[in-house]
Amino acid sequence: MNRDYAKYALRRVLQAVVVILLAYMFTFVVISVLPGDPVTNTLRNPQNGFTEEEITRIVAYYGLDRPVYVQLWSSLSRFVVGDLGVSLRSGLPVTRQVGEVLGSTVVLALSALGVALVLAFGTAFGAQYLPRRVGRLLRAFPSLFLSMPNFVIGLVLINVFAFQLGLFQVIDSEGGLATFFAAVALGIPVSARVTEVLIANLDHEAGEEYASVARSRGLGRTRLFLRHLLKPSSLPVVTVIALTVGELLGGAVITEQIFGRTGIGSLVERSVTTQDLPVLQAIVTLAAIVFVVVNLVADLVYPLLDPRVRLGGTTSAARPEPRDLAEVVAP
Amino acid sequence: MTAPAPAPVVSTTALRRSAVRRVPPAVVISFALVAFVLLWSVVPGLFTSHDPAVGVPADKFLGPSGAHWFGTDHLGRDLFARVVHGSASSVSSALIAVAIAVLVGGLIGLVAGFVGGWTDTVLARLVDVFLAIPEFLLAVIVVSSLGFETTNAAIATGVSAVGIFARVMRSEVLKTGRAVFVEAAYLQGGSRWHILTRHVLPNASRSVLTLAVLQFGYSILIIASLAFLGYGDPPPASDWGLLISVGKDYPLAPWLIYAPALVMIATVLSVNRISRWLRKTD
Amino acid sequence: MAPQDRLTLDRVETPAATPDLLRVEGLSVAYGDNQVVTDVGFGLRRGESLALIGESGSGKSTIARAVLRLLPRGLGRATGRVEFDGHDVLSLSERRFRPLRGRRIGFVPQDPGNSLNPVRTIGAQAREAAALLGELNPAERKDLILETFAQVGLDDPRRVHDSYPHQLSGGMLQRVLIGLTVLPRPALIVADEPTSALDVTIQKRILDLLSRLRQDLDISLLLITHDLAIAAERADSLVVLKDGVVQEAGATAVVFSAPTSEYARKLHGDVPALNPDRYRHLRDRVRESGPPKIEVSGVTKTFTVEGRALTAVDDVSFVVEPGTTHALVGESGSGKTTTIRLLLGLEEPDSGSIKVAGEEVTGRSHASLRSIRRHLQLVYQNPFTSLDPKWTVKRLVGESLDRFGVGTRQERAERVRAALDSVGLGAHLLSRRPAALSGGQRQRVALARSLVLRPDVIVLDEPTSALDVSVQAGIVEVLLSLQAELGLTYVFVSHDLALVRQLAHTVSVVHRGRVVEGGPVATVFDNPRQPYTRALVESIPAPRPTVANGAS
Repeated sequence: MNRDYAKYALRRVLQAVVVILLAYMFTFVVISVLPGDPVTNTLRNPQNGFTEEEITRIVAYYGLDRPVYVQLWSSLSRFVVGDLGVSLRSGLPVTRQVGEVLGSTVVLALSALGVALVLAFGTAFGAQYLPRRVGRLLRAFPSLFLSMPNFVIGLVLINVFAFQLGLFQVIDSEGGLATFFAAVALGIPVSARVTEVLIANLDHEAGEEYASVARSRGLGRTRLFLRHLLKPSSLPVVTVIALTVGELLGGAVITEQIFGRTGIGSLVERSVTTQDLPVLQAIVTLAAIVFVVVNLVADLVYPLLDPRVRLGGTTSAARPEPRDLAEVVAP
Repeated sequence: MTAPAPAPVVSTTALRRSAVRRVPPAVVISFALVAFVLLWSVVPGLFTSHDPAVGVPADKFLGPSGAHWFGTDHLGRDLFARVVHGSASSVSSALIAVAIAVLVGGLIGLVAGFVGGWTDTVLARLVDVFLAIPEFLLAVIVVSSLGFETTNAAIATGVSAVGIFARVMRSEVLKTGRAVFVEAAYLQGGSRWHILTRHVLPNASRSVLTLAVLQFGYSILIIASLAFLGYGDPPPASDWGLLISVGKDYPLAPWLIYAPALVMIATVLSVNRISRWLRKTD
Repeated sequence: MAPQDRLTLDRVETPAATPDLLRVEGLSVAYGDNQVVTDVGFGLRRGESLALIGESGSGKSTIARAVLRLLPRGLGRATGRVEFDGHDVLSLSERRFRPLRGRRIGFVPQDPGNSLNPVRTIGAQAREAAALLGELNPAERKDLILETFAQVGLDDPRRVHDSYPHQLSGGMLQRVLIGLTVLPRPALIVADEPTSALDVTIQKRILDLLSRLRQDLDISLLLITHDLAIAAERADSLVVLKDGVVQEAGATAVVFSAPTSEYARKLHGDVPALNPDRYRHLRDRVRESGPPKIEVSGVTKTFTVEGRALTAVDDVSFVVEPGTTHALVGESGSGKTTTIRLLLGLEEPDSGSIKVAGEEVTGRSHASLRSIRRHLQLVYQNPFTSLDPKWTVKRLVGESLDRFGVGTRQERAERVRAALDSVGLGAHLLSRRPAALSGGQRQRVALARSLVLRPDVIVLDEPTSALDVSVQAGIVEVLLSLQAELGLTYVFVSHDLALVRQLAHTVSVVHRGRVVEGGPVATVFDNPRQPYTRALVESIPAPRPTVANGAS
C-alpha cells in the first residue's frame, strides 16, 4: 500500500506540473492570436503615457517584435522561474499587482464556499429526512440553483437588501454584510453540484443492502444516518468541492464587478478592457495552478480517507472521474 | 463463477417501463416553455407587435401592464418585445456553443477512449488543461482574443466546455468498450470500425446527449454573463444578459432586471428538467 | 420491550392451536399499484425451519422483508397479519418494533459482499450487534464478538475484527453476518438466499453452519430460497410460491414426495439435482465418430496482477469428441473462464497448443482467427450484458451473417428466422430490443445468434446461471435437441454439478488453474478419486432419501 501510494502520488504530482505548464502555454497561444496589436493598442495609447524609450524597453523585454514561438519560449522560461512580467498598463510587476488584490478574492471565494456547503448539506439532509413533501421540494433546489446566474442573484440581493432595505452600502464594498451578500450570490450556483451529488449519494447509500442489514440489527434512523450513511456519502463530495474552485474563481469576475469589489475578478475585467495581456496571462495561469493544486490535494487525500480505494497496478481511478459528475450533475 | 442473485425484490423493469410511458407534468410544461422560446426566436413577430428598437420617449419607465407586459425601458421601448426579439440571439448562440463542445469534445473523447495508449495519455493532458482553466475565465480570454461579438462569445463558451464533453465521451467509450456485448460483436466477426460506429457510439452517445441538453441551458447563462460584461454585441442588440446589464443602471425600475432574468431562469430550468428526464428514461 | 399486558389483548383474539413463533395470515404486499404478494399465510413453530420457495418475482424476498418490516420506505405497503411471539408486527409502531429487530428476529442477507458497510471495520459493525444485549462493558463486548467469530468458523477472529469488508472473501463475510445475527441469541432467523452468491463448496459449509447453530441455540429458521433441493434438504416444511401466491404448502416430505399443485410438480421436475437422468434419451443416443473436435494440450496462462504473477491456467489438457458435450467444472477463480477465452483466441496462451477441428488456434493473426470463429461460437453467462441494448433481435441474430457477407439479404433474413425458430422463439420478436425480452428469451436470442452461422462448436459459459430453474430447463432442452439434430459439439462451463450431470458426456474438474480430474461424467461423479472432486460432488444438495424416491 505505502509503496503504491508513493508511486501514485509521484505520478499525480508530475501530471499536475505538466498540466500547469501546458495551461500556461495554452493561455499564451490563445491570447497571442489576438487580432489587435498590443503595441499600438496599449503602449501607444496616449492615455497610458508611455515614453518612446519605455515602449522600446517593453517591446524588447517581451520580444514583441519576434515570432510567436520565440515569444512563447522566452515567456515560458521566465514563468518557470516565477517571473510573470510587467503590466503593460501600469508598468508594475504583474506579481505585485495580482498580489495586492488576491486577499479580497480569497475572502470572497472562501465565504462563498462556506455558503455553498451549508446550503448543500442542509438541503441534502432535509431532502432525506424531512417530511416527504418538503423533501420533494428540496430535491428541486440543485436544478434551480443551476439555473440562476450569479449576476442575477447579485443584482436582486443588491436591489432588495441595499436599495430597498438599506442593510448595506454598495459603496462600502468590502464591509461584512456586503461580503456576505456577495458570497451568497457567488455561492448559490456553486452549491448546485455539491447538493446534487450529496443527495444522490445519500439516496444511493440508504438503498444499499448494508443499510437494510444494519436496520435489521435494530439501528434507528438517526444512528443509521450518523454511523453508516454520512461517511460513505460525503467522501466523494471532497472531489466535487475541489472541482468548484474553478466556478468560484470564474464567478468572481462578475460578482466582484457587481458588488464593486477590487479583486482578481475585477482585475480580469479591467485587463480585458485595456488588453493588458501579461496580467491576463498571469491570472489565468494562477487560476489553473490553484485548480490543479486543490484537485491534486483532493486526489492525494481521498485514498487515505476511503478504505475501499486500493492503489496499484492499473487502477488509477482513485476517486470518481471528475465529470462522471457531469452525469450526476445533470439534475 | 458464482451464481448471480436470482430474485430482485421488485420487478424493476416493469416499474421502469410504466415510468417511461408517463411523462411527468413538469416535463410537459418544460417542453412547452422551451418550445415557446424557440418560437420566439424563429418568428418573434407573431408574439409582439412592438418594435424592439424604437421606443416612445413619453412612455419610458412604465411598469408592467396589459399594454406592456414587461413594462418599458429608459427609451420607452417595450421590454417584452426586446426579450422576445433577443431570444433569437441567446438561443442560437447557445446552440453554436453546444455544437462546438459536442463536436470537438466528443471527437477528442472518442479518439482518446477508443485508440487508447499514448494517444489517450496525450489527449488526457490536453483535456486536463481545458478543465484546469476555470470555464468562465477561459471563455473570457477566448472572447477577448476573438473580439467582442455575440457569435464570438458563443464560440468562446463552446471552447470552454470542450473539456467536459471530451471527458464524458471518453469515459463512456471506455465503459461501453468493456461491455460484454462489444466482445460478442467482435466474436461475430465485426471489425473495429463496425464495432465503434454500430455498438460503441450509439451506446456512449446517450449520456453525451443528456449532457448536451444540460449544457444548452448552461451556455445560455454563460453567454448572458459575457453579454452582461459587455463582451457581446453592443446595444441596441437585446441579448438577455445585455438587457439585464442595461437594467441594472435603473434601480427604480427593477422590472428591467426581473423580467428578462425570470424568462432566462425559467428557460434554463426547463432545459435542466428535460435533461434530467432524459437521463432517467433509458 | 413493550409492556406484556397490552400485547396479550391481541393474543386472545387468535385462538392458535399450536404455539407458532411466527404466524403469517392473509399477507399482501404492494409496491405502488404493483401487487407482488397476495394473501399469503403460513406458521412456523419454535425451533423448526420453514422454506419459502419460488423463482424470481415470486415475492419470497418481499415476504421476508415484510416480516422484518424492511420494505422500502414509502414504496412497499403490507396488509394482513404477521404475528411474532404474540406481537402483531405490522401494527406496532416503529419504536416498539425496533427492540424486536436484531434482538429477537435476526436477518441473514443474500449477498454478503454488499451487506456490510464498506467504509467501517467489521468490529465496529459487530459492536452494534453486541450492543443489543445491553449491560456489557467494552471488553466483554469484544470478547463476545471474538468468541462468536470463532463459533461461526472464522480462523483468525482478531484479524477479522479489524478488517474492512473488502478485505475478506464472500464466504468469510457470510460467516461474519451469520455471527452478527446469532450473537444476540434471536428466536428467529430470516435467511434470504443466504448462499446463492457463494461457491458451491462454501454453500454447503454455510448451510451446515446454519443448521448446527440452529440446533445448538434453538433458533427457528425462515429460509428463503429459489433452490428446491436446498429447501428439501434443510427445511421441515415448505411453502411454494409463484407470482406472490401460495401454490402449495406442507411438511417437506409430503410436498416433496407427492406434490399436488401443477407448479410444484413442474418445479420438482426442473431441478437438476432431483432429476439426473431427465435428458438421458437426448444425451445418450448413438453418435458418429470421427477425429476430436477440440484438443487442448498443456496450455498455461499467467497474468500479472498488482505486480505478482498469477497462473490462471496451469498445464490444462482435454479432448472433446464430435457431437458430445464436455463440461468444465469449478468454482469462481478456478480458471475455467480463462480456459475458454484461450480456446476462442481472445487470449494467447504462454505455452501449449489448442486445436479446433484440427486447426491450431494459438499464434494466429486477427484475420485468420476470424475464419476459425465462423465455426466456433460463444454464448455468454449473462444475457443481460451480452446483447447490445440498442439493437433489435433481428439485427443481433443476423450480425454475423452480415459481417461474413453470407448469402443474399433474403437468405439472411430466412436464416435468422430459422435460427430463432430452432431455439423456440417466434418471428414476432424480430423487431424487439433486449429490454423488451425476459431473461430466458434473451438467452435464447444469444443462442440463436451463435447458431446462425451453423458452427460446429459452441462454447457455453454458464449459460443458465443467471436464470430461474424452469427457464434453465427450457434452455437445456433446446441445447440438447439441437445437439441431437445438428451434431453440435459443446464446451459447457458450469459450477452446477447437478446440471452438468444432466447434460454432459465428459467432464474436467478445474481447481486453481489445474485439471484435477477428468473423464466420463458418470465415472467421475460416482467414483471421485480426488478429495476436491469429492467435496464438489458432496455439495450437491441431497434431499432425504425417503423423500427423493417417491418423486420421479
